[in-house]
Amino acid sequence: MNPSALIYLLTAAIVFGIGLHGLLQSRQILRQLLCINLMGGGIFLLLITLGGGADGPPDPVPQAMVLTGIVIAVSATAFALALLLRWHELGDSTELDAVANADANTHDE
Amino acid sequence: MTNEALIGLIFLPLLGACATVLPGRFATYLGILSGLAPLPLLLVAVTLSVAQNGPGFLELGGWAAPLGIRLFVDPLAVLMLWMVAIIGGLAAIHAWCDFPPASPSGQRFWPLWLLLTSAMNALFLSADLFNLYVCLELITLTAIPLIALTGSKTAVRAAMRYLLLALLASLLYLLGVALLYNATGTLDLYLMRDALAAAPPAAVVATLALISLGLLLKGAVFPLHVWLPKAHASAPGPVSAVLSALVVKTAIYLLYRVWLWSVPATVAAEQALTLLAILGAGALLYGGVLALLQQRLKLVIAYSTVAQLGYLLLILPMASSGAWPVAWQGGTYQLLSHGLAKAAMFLAAANILHALGSDRLSDLQRLDQRQPLSLFALAVAGVSIMGLPPSGGFLAKWLLLDAAFRSGQWWLLAVLVAGSLLAAAYVFRILAASLRRDDPTEADPVADTKAIPNVQTACAVLLALLALAAGFAAAPMIEFIGPGAPGAWSRP
Amino acid sequence: MIGLAMDCVLALGIVFLAVQTVRSRSLFQAMLMFIVFGLLMSLSWARLHAPDLALAEAAIGAGITGALLLVTWRRLQAEGHDPVESEQSAPSMWLTLPTAGAASLLVVIIGWVALQLPAVPGTAGELAWQRLEEVGVSNPVTGVLLGFRAYDTLLEMAVLLAAWLGARAVATEFRPGALPGPAHAEVPLVGALLSLVVPISILVAVYLLQAGGSAPGGAFQGGAVLAAGGVLLCLTGRLEAAADTSGLERLGLILGLSVFSLVGLLVMAGGGPMLALPGAWAIYLVETALLVSIALTLVLLFAAAPGLRRAS
Repeated sequence: MNPSALIYLLTAAIVFGIGLHGLLQSRQILRQLLCINLMGGGIFLLLITLGGGADGPPDPVPQAMVLTGIVIAVSATAFALALLLRWHELGDSTELDAVANADANTHDE
Repeated sequence: MTNEALIGLIFLPLLGACATVLPGRFATYLGILSGLAPLPLLLVAVTLSVAQNGPGFLELGGWAAPLGIRLFVDPLAVLMLWMVAIIGGLAAIHAWCDFPPASPSGQRFWPLWLLLTSAMNALFLSADLFNLYVCLELITLTAIPLIALTGSKTAVRAAMRYLLLALLASLLYLLGVALLYNATGTLDLYLMRDALAAAPPAAVVATLALISLGLLLKGAVFPLHVWLPKAHASAPGPVSAVLSALVVKTAIYLLYRVWLWSVPATVAAEQALTLLAILGAGALLYGGVLALLQQRLKLVIAYSTVAQLGYLLLILPMASSGAWPVAWQGGTYQLLSHGLAKAAMFLAAANILHALGSDRLSDLQRLDQRQPLSLFALAVAGVSIMGLPPSGGFLAKWLLLDAAFRSGQWWLLAVLVAGSLLAAAYVFRILAASLRRDDPTEADPVADTKAIPNVQTACAVLLALLALAAGFAAAPMIEFIGPGAPGAWSRP
Repeated sequence: MIGLAMDCVLALGIVFLAVQTVRSRSLFQAMLMFIVFGLLMSLSWARLHAPDLALAEAAIGAGITGALLLVTWRRLQAEGHDPVESEQSAPSMWLTLPTAGAASLLVVIIGWVALQLPAVPGTAGELAWQRLEEVGVSNPVTGVLLGFRAYDTLLEMAVLLAAWLGARAVATEFRPGALPGPAHAEVPLVGALLSLVVPISILVAVYLLQAGGSAPGGAFQGGAVLAAGGVLLCLTGRLEAAADTSGLERLGLILGLSVFSLVGLLVMAGGGPMLALPGAWAIYLVETALLVSIALTLVLLFAAAPGLRRAS
């Protein structure tokens, strides 16, 4: 394998991992959103590297997938930010209860 | 003719959504009616064609797979499409009263509702893994705003958590798809089996694990269900109905497609399917117990969804046994009967919440006098959820028991019985709370019950009766559904 | 050799920025790190011979997403949420260690699987190269997006529309001044600069649109550049938030999706297969509609208001 391809492959996997780690351990919604976008970036990088981007023009199908993915990511982010603003106007903090605790307080509301 | 009908199922609601965005009352009504009303008619054409000619593909743009995207229609897809048309249609009629199309709330509601309908139809028909990713995201981005529509703190909070987890789930799924494309050179669900059989099995299993993890999270399968109860319980009634009856099923549907249709039997080791079934068993028991502990009607129903989804995974380990056709019929019947019954319960619960101003179980006393028909719907749907004859739920659970017995999977038998007992317990708890007559001194609760539009009551009752009727119309439906995935599994 | 060194530096930079996005104590700093991350990603797309993606990433991934993040930050501040307060408290070891473990496990799995799975010949992508002529464009990415996999692109437009509809559905009632206008009195130069930048953004958008057939570019990149021009007009107060969405705006929002669908349906009505765009002219027609919708949707999402009007 082309050494550049190996580098980008590794970068892709690591960026995905960092994003996942950040998503799971952060309690700030805005930062969790950033982490989701990081994970997406990692996947996109993986797609293009596996599609042969390091050796020449990459496979056009993954390129189209990434382009679609980028637009979907910005759509999801935009909606999430709108929801976040609403959340704030209701007087909540930007922190979400750790997801693992969700069951503890579902008995009553 | 069928091709046009398939396209119509996706594009009529899509263009309907566009029309509702346009200014003017006329465009809104036109969009809603043309987007939803013709769906059953189109489905009749599709059903007849599938019954006659069997499953079929439709190449979009005329590009054959793997280059282009195909639609695939078979009895399972037809069943799901019917559920979208019937449950979605009745829920839409219910929603018409709460979100009148010309009102500001209706302006927000209907475009999203139509897009959601279109996205679900598209998902059930798509044969392309990446296209399915786009469908999943479209469902997420239309379902979640519908939850948060009321703007209550609980709803917004639940929507936010659902959104973050749904996005995570999509990414896990997408990661798996990226790796699969590299290994097989195709995104078509039905073309990758041979390539997968040739690839190193361990790598394929790891890839499938990523896809499955994403889908389990989207499908709220225990222990990844944490987002579901509050999201489903805090949404407006018709939205809850569609979320529980249809939206979570999209993920289960894709699990079926991936594991039963696309994966060669050599890779889909028995162990993987057993693991999924164990999660299903966990869901059935944990969801059942938690449903018993809830104090609010809508939360009971939501936890019941967590439990009932478990049945759908329990059939998987029987895929290679001789009992598979029976198990498959049981599974698909569970898809259908749970969908109908759960939608009926959520619509009835919405009516009760509206009429009483509360859905706490402790406030439900004398419901038989205050909301007799809604209680009737709850009870009839409950019969199906518990699996008592003659409902569709009974038939589903009976088939599952039969299959477990035939394949000698005794632990499944035990789980199935325990699940039904738990369901009986939480349904009876609701009924008992509704028939209580304590506090004779208190002011007459019947007097301060708000009236509910008859249409809304009728929708709930009709769905409940359909869930019951599913038990009677079994023979033709079972014949139509057939033995499931063709040739995917070697059966002794 | 120089190329390899560049790849190493880029990779290190990307990983560093990702770590900083997760770890920096201030949320604001994390956002800035993320935006720079997007820019470096854009460079790596260029290194990976994917100029279409480089353009899209720079315009949408870093540009529009960055603008959305920053404007949301400003709105949160305006609501009285002190950014200092939102510093992240150090997460407990009990949470950090398992998640770090799970994440690294996944990294190893991804790397291992990617190396294990042999790339197979005869992929959909190779077919796309071979049959590109039949679509009528010479840029393979455009060929896939509007030819072979046009249906994905169509549904993607529905996703974008859903994002706007969703954002409107959860938004609170409109308050005038929701749009953060200029923070202080305008510098005289701004007007002159705008009268230069905005026409240029339109020009670039149109160029990207028409270039998309044969060179890097296309409706998405063009739409994002046009949206950037709109964002500038919002930021300098040339456009104001309005209380309702005008008919023209509504038409623009659905233009891409409906033109795309209707052209597809007309082809089908004429006896062809659904969504088979008959030649390059149809592709440009659809792309123009897509560009209008993309640009408008992104600007309206940025404004977080039902509509926009020219400032009085």
